[in-house]
Amino acid sequence: MAYSPLVVPGSADKSAATTKSKLSNTVVSSNAPTPEAGQSSNGAGNDLAEQMNEDEKQKYIKGKKLGEGTYANVYLGHLRDSPSTLVAIKKIKVQKEYTEGMAPDAIRELKHLQELSHPNIISLLSVFSSKDQNLNLVLEFLPLGDLEMLIKDVDGVRYGAADIKAWMGMLTRAIWFCHENFVLHRDIKPNNLLIAADGEVKLADFGLARSFSDPYRVMTSNVITRWYRPPELLFGAKHYSGAVDIWSVGLVFAELVIRTPYMAGDTEVHQVNLICQAIGTPNEDNWPGVSKLPEYTVPEPPNPIRGRDHYLGTFGTAGPEGVDLLMKTLILDPRKRITAREMLEHKWWSSDPKPTRKEELPKKSGGEAKLGEDLKRRPGILDDERSARVARKLDFGGMK
Amino acid sequence: MSRHAPKILDPSSNPLDDICPVCKSNRYLNPSLQFLINPECYHKMCSTCVDRIFTSGPASCPVPHCGKTLRKKGFHKAFFGDLKVEREVDIRKRVGEVFNRRQEEFETLQDWNNYLEEVECLVFDLVEGTTKEKMKAEEKLKSYRAMNMQEIEENRRAMMEDADLEKRRSQAEKEQARQRRLQVVKEEQEAKADLEKDKKKTLDLLATADGNAAAITRQAQKVILKKSSARRNLGDKVGNGSAQDSGLTIRGLKKKLAPVVEKPYDPFGGIDLTPTRYVLQDHYENEWLASAKNDSRHMAGGYSLQEYYSRTMFEAFSGLGVFIKDEVSQKQPGVPASVGSATAVEAFEAFGGNIKLENKTETDDVF
Repeated sequence: MAYSPLVVPGSADKSAATTKSKLSNTVVSSNAPTPEAGQSSNGAGNDLAEQMNEDEKQKYIKGKKLGEGTYANVYLGHLRDSPSTLVAIKKIKVQKEYTEGMAPDAIRELKHLQELSHPNIISLLSVFSSKDQNLNLVLEFLPLGDLEMLIKDVDGVRYGAADIKAWMGMLTRAIWFCHENFVLHRDIKPNNLLIAADGEVKLADFGLARSFSDPYRVMTSNVITRWYRPPELLFGAKHYSGAVDIWSVGLVFAELVIRTPYMAGDTEVHQVNLICQAIGTPNEDNWPGVSKLPEYTVPEPPNPIRGRDHYLGTFGTAGPEGVDLLMKTLILDPRKRITAREMLEHKWWSSDPKPTRKEELPKKSGGEAKLGEDLKRRPGILDDERSARVARKLDFGGMK
Repeated sequence: MSRHAPKILDPSSNPLDDICPVCKSNRYLNPSLQFLINPECYHKMCSTCVDRIFTSGPASCPVPHCGKTLRKKGFHKAFFGDLKVEREVDIRKRVGEVFNRRQEEFETLQDWNNYLEEVECLVFDLVEGTTKEKMKAEEKLKSYRAMNMQEIEENRRAMMEDADLEKRRSQAEKEQARQRRLQVVKEEQEAKADLEKDKKKTLDLLATADGNAAAITRQAQKVILKKSSARRNLGDKVGNGSAQDSGLTIRGLKKKLAPVVEKPYDPFGGIDLTPTRYVLQDHYENEWLASAKNDSRHMAGGYSLQEYYSRTMFEAFSGLGVFIKDEVSQKQPGVPASVGSATAVEAFEAFGGNIKLENKTETDDVF
């Protein structure tokens, strides 16, 4: 087949096509030029899908390159009809490992982004394929960079407890919405949290996302960037839940407060050690069944679970309620860990200080390049400049 | 003429006003006679009577057919000679404290006027109405106060702030006027001194020099004229400057809108995803799930059957109750305004204009 089957029909026309069934294709054809008309104007060999793809492609104009990576290139673009409506076009490169069909990251991103529409989740506006079957994702343009940029710029950006609460609120809402819609993000970290022009934080990069698994169906434990990976994944669990994302959210929270990654392990083993030091050693008492997990190994001697005082000492600026929430997100046993819904019901949100309004949140310029950086990255790996020697490719082949 | 006016209003001009209606003592016999009233009934009596009757505690009003229970604490000197006016002013004060809305709060002038009329009617009922009307008005006042407690408090504070601002502004204006007056006086003095000096100089010149007396005087006159005109110009300039300064305080400007009262923070961002067509149970009996429930690898890894239940239930019910016809007609009136970037509207349309549009029919996942 010489065309991509992945065209979002809902955006091809403005009809009420809410399902992606074959039926909606017929709806499209009533608005778009009919196949016969298309053929007569463009000549033979142009079937309906190609026609739709062409229409979609014509809607956008690709501008300057914002970033280039091994996985994807990111361009600034705008609508042909209105040059002021900016978009980011993520052009996924044809990858050598996946000669037959498309890369799984791209499919995951497409599959989930096109179904999730929430103020705190990046919007996928359109998809089209360009020449050589390159997949182009048209994404919302988020010009103000990401949270990592703000966290790292300790001297240039100052923020307080109210700002942290506002950001955490947006992040928690995003992940709550994913979980309510049965999607595991599996790659939450500060540089996947992009910032829109109005200060709204948007969860991006669904390259590792998947929907909740059925019982008895294994999932890979080789997901989530290491520093934010929960203990159950480090122990090789094949059946897990939204709790894996919550651990990452907790670590983003911790990072926002102390402005440096809380547990930055060089290897998986190192990461487990760090968790044992910072939180406590998992054992059968605090996490029944943990020793049965395939890759369960903990360093000797075991550390007891850290008490509230330890967290209050390190994360005191978040206030007692904030520390309470943080502790609940960093519970070792995923079954005891707080859920996204419970997080939003926590009393931290109603206690003082009130979250900053999104327009008044701290900002930093230079976000365009950062957006390019963020979107071109291959999911699930650490930034090159942050830890060049440990960057590791995900083995998607071994997941079946 | 204006000298007579206060005399008419003066309570001492009416001989009846000088007699205490309770003890009948009058100002002629007791020059220090002072009349007090109680806003319960506005019957006046002299301070001696008040002391005599009410010192030992609350008692009923001594005026025949009144019988209201009064306390000594409530008595005070009337501000107005006419007690009817005094009473109306008191009522207006009381009503004004409750009905303290400001014109800025109203959309149109018509609304504001309507509001004013309503308040005026209420006041009239309280002042002139029959007992029944009074009671009704009193009831209305009470219920309004109860309902609008917070807004009343806000307006009270705003008005206090306004009054404070006004006070400060008028003080600043007064200060400016004083400065201007001082300036003028100073200039006048300077001019006078200059003139004196010039005259003296001319005289000296006339006395010592041997030129033409008439020419010298003419020359001196010219110098004086020049100086005074220069001074006048300077004064004009200063005057203009101060006029510009005072021009900055423009009266009758519309005040800035008070910031919109912030809603309490909603952690859920105003989205409710609770299923409407079914109630999710904590537990479902199913043979197929039994072994997963007991499998340590499922459980220790944190696999959540709850999540599985909610997804399965959602899938079972998804699509029910969706009528494309309704959605199309809902969509026609225009794309709803959306938050986020300029492209958000685009996104909205791309996803069919429905924020919760999960369409999870395809459950099998190759990964």
